[in-house]
Amino acid sequence: MSGLDNIPVNVEAPAMPFGSGNTGAILAELETSLQTLLTSGKEHSIDLRSLPLLPGELDYLRERLGKGEVQVDVNALGHSTVIETAIRGVWWVTHRNAIDNVMAEFLEVSFCPDIIRAQRDDVRESLETLAALLAGDNHS
Amino acid sequence: MNRRPTIAEQLARQGISRRAFLKFCAATASLMALPPGMAPAIAEALGKIRRPSVIWLSFQECTGCTESLTRSHSPTVESLIFDMISLDYHHTLQAASGEAAEHAREEAMKEPGYLVLVDGSIPIKDGGIYSTIAGISNLQMLKDTVENAAAVVSIGTCAAFGGIPMANPNPTGAAGVQALMDQGLIARKPVINVPGCPPIPAVITGVLAHYLTFGAIPPLDALGRPLNFYGDSIHDRCYRRPFYDQGKFAKTFDDEGARKGWCLFELGCKGPTTHNACATTKWNDGTSFPIESGHGCIGCSEPNFWDAGSFYKALSAPADPLSFAAGAAVAGAAVGVGMSFMNRAKKSSAKAAHETATLKDLEK
Amino acid sequence: MNEMELLNWVRGPGLNIAVAVFLLGTIWRLFEIYSLGRKQDLSAPRNAAGASGWHTVVRRSMPPPGMLKRSPVSYIGGYAFHIGLAIVVFLFAPHIVLIENLIGLSWPALPSQVVDLAAVVTMAAMVLVLVDRINKPVKRFLSTFEDYFTWAVTFLPVLTGYLAVQHLLLPYTTMLALHILSVEILLVVLPFTKLFHVFTLFASRWYNGNANAHKGVPV
Repeated sequence: MSGLDNIPVNVEAPAMPFGSGNTGAILAELETSLQTLLTSGKEHSIDLRSLPLLPGELDYLRERLGKGEVQVDVNALGHSTVIETAIRGVWWVTHRNAIDNVMAEFLEVSFCPDIIRAQRDDVRESLETLAALLAGDNHS
Repeated sequence: MNRRPTIAEQLARQGISRRAFLKFCAATASLMALPPGMAPAIAEALGKIRRPSVIWLSFQECTGCTESLTRSHSPTVESLIFDMISLDYHHTLQAASGEAAEHAREEAMKEPGYLVLVDGSIPIKDGGIYSTIAGISNLQMLKDTVENAAAVVSIGTCAAFGGIPMANPNPTGAAGVQALMDQGLIARKPVINVPGCPPIPAVITGVLAHYLTFGAIPPLDALGRPLNFYGDSIHDRCYRRPFYDQGKFAKTFDDEGARKGWCLFELGCKGPTTHNACATTKWNDGTSFPIESGHGCIGCSEPNFWDAGSFYKALSAPADPLSFAAGAAVAGAAVGVGMSFMNRAKKSSAKAAHETATLKDLEK
Repeated sequence: MNEMELLNWVRGPGLNIAVAVFLLGTIWRLFEIYSLGRKQDLSAPRNAAGASGWHTVVRRSMPPPGMLKRSPVSYIGGYAFHIGLAIVVFLFAPHIVLIENLIGLSWPALPSQVVDLAAVVTMAAMVLVLVDRINKPVKRFLSTFEDYFTWAVTFLPVLTGYLAVQHLLLPYTTMLALHILSVEILLVVLPFTKLFHVFTLFASRWYNGNANAHKGVPV
């Protein structure tokens, strides 16, 4: 649908000595959230689409946070990526839909983002599937 | 009993895992401009609610709102139509036409509690003859359809506030849905206004998703607009705001200030009085919004924006040329000159009436 | 009438009416005052050092010796609010755009934070002089309804403007409409009240100075 990626456009941040001020706020929010995660185990998530960021500021943020050791691809209702940043415990989560448009983008602060973990209901179903599988094997 | 499946059931039927459902909820929260922490609440709500029937009525409109909706990326209009709602009537998008189409609408209306979406304003002058569908006037169709509706969503500025068809001198007597309810011409139902010319696609789907998920009207502002999308002004969320505060303005569309991305206030940007999500949600799958492309906001999500003077005149400048000024100045001068002649006459008559006092007068 | 309709009215017909009344009143009164004329003084002029119309314009703009100490609020408060008002009215970017649209002249604006500060100082000084007027028995005795009325129509535009910019109390659109409306009231009232000193202040000082200088008295 969106052919924008095919157009070679290089977005340059306008010459702004001050920026929107939001990248600093995001980093500060991550700091307090990491603190909370350590003390109380409470997870936190920042919706990157709800903030007015300047062209280029998202890239700046990505650069500042860097890349960590884990990168997970999730194929559920389209492709999602969960990338640990160099700040461990901070995950960059990008959800895409079936036609590869970004639906949502979050910074999640947690030991392991929920989307990676197998869900209880799914595991219950898996058990049934496996039981059926074993039953099938025994019969043969 | 033929009950409508819940949205979660609908997704499960399509073989969608809980993990995918979780992702769907996270994206939906983002779409609805809710905090990410709301995703579990959305998941719970979606497990309970049934896919409601939706009737979409198009009146005096340009199809721009439908065009906008079909460009929604998250969720795509397909997933919205197939997973979340049951769109039973939309004369632009549906395959059926003519009598079959009208039949679909009548069928959907048999079960009360459906959601009515309206785009376009409704002409009420001369018995509403200026716009009809299948021989039924817009007013009559809206009246019949709203009767058993759970709520009405006015999509676009025309349905919400009257829009371009209502612009001075309003030849068709066009009015928005809320105005018709206020005048008692149609039944009073809860109304959500989603103005914009057109509204941002993600805002249309976001508002629908919110209503469908929570089964309730989201918090609204005084003009009936959902606060999560229309709560802030464009100006307050604008990335060019720092330039406004510094007093740096583009004076023309091609000067140095324009090239450097300075504030467009002097070029007529209506950002300070316009409430919409353009500055954050943006357009075309989050690519940009008008101000980012170098054009001021025209204020399309506000009532009467079409009659608010030039789009290129600063908000603090007069909306119309001051037609009385020259006349008033001349009149003022005339009155002043008249008064001065009167004062002179008074003075000279006082002089004429002056009598020299003599000793005799004092002895009186 | 919703807030957008109100804003459209004050930006359109309202402004039109207000400016018309202002121009009519101002030109009328200026013509009337300056055409009054005075009897020619036939005596031989006496010269004295520091006695002229211009001297008086300057001298009356400063506190006489000792007066600053006796009524500091009148002088300092008075200066603060007049200068603050001038900054707010003439150096705030949206105001300059308005003036440019009306008469075609423009000049650079101050950053909005500086204008915000000037607005706060102006309002504080205005409240201070009002409190002083009410508290001091002599001032209170000399005050008429017009004094309080003109104070209010001057104060309201500053207050509503500040509240609009800071997004306080009411939505911006409503507050902006009220701000413009309050300025329009000020424009209508100005030619017909003591606020007309905007136009006559320096002329009357010059006139007094000149008349007294003829008699050899520096005032």
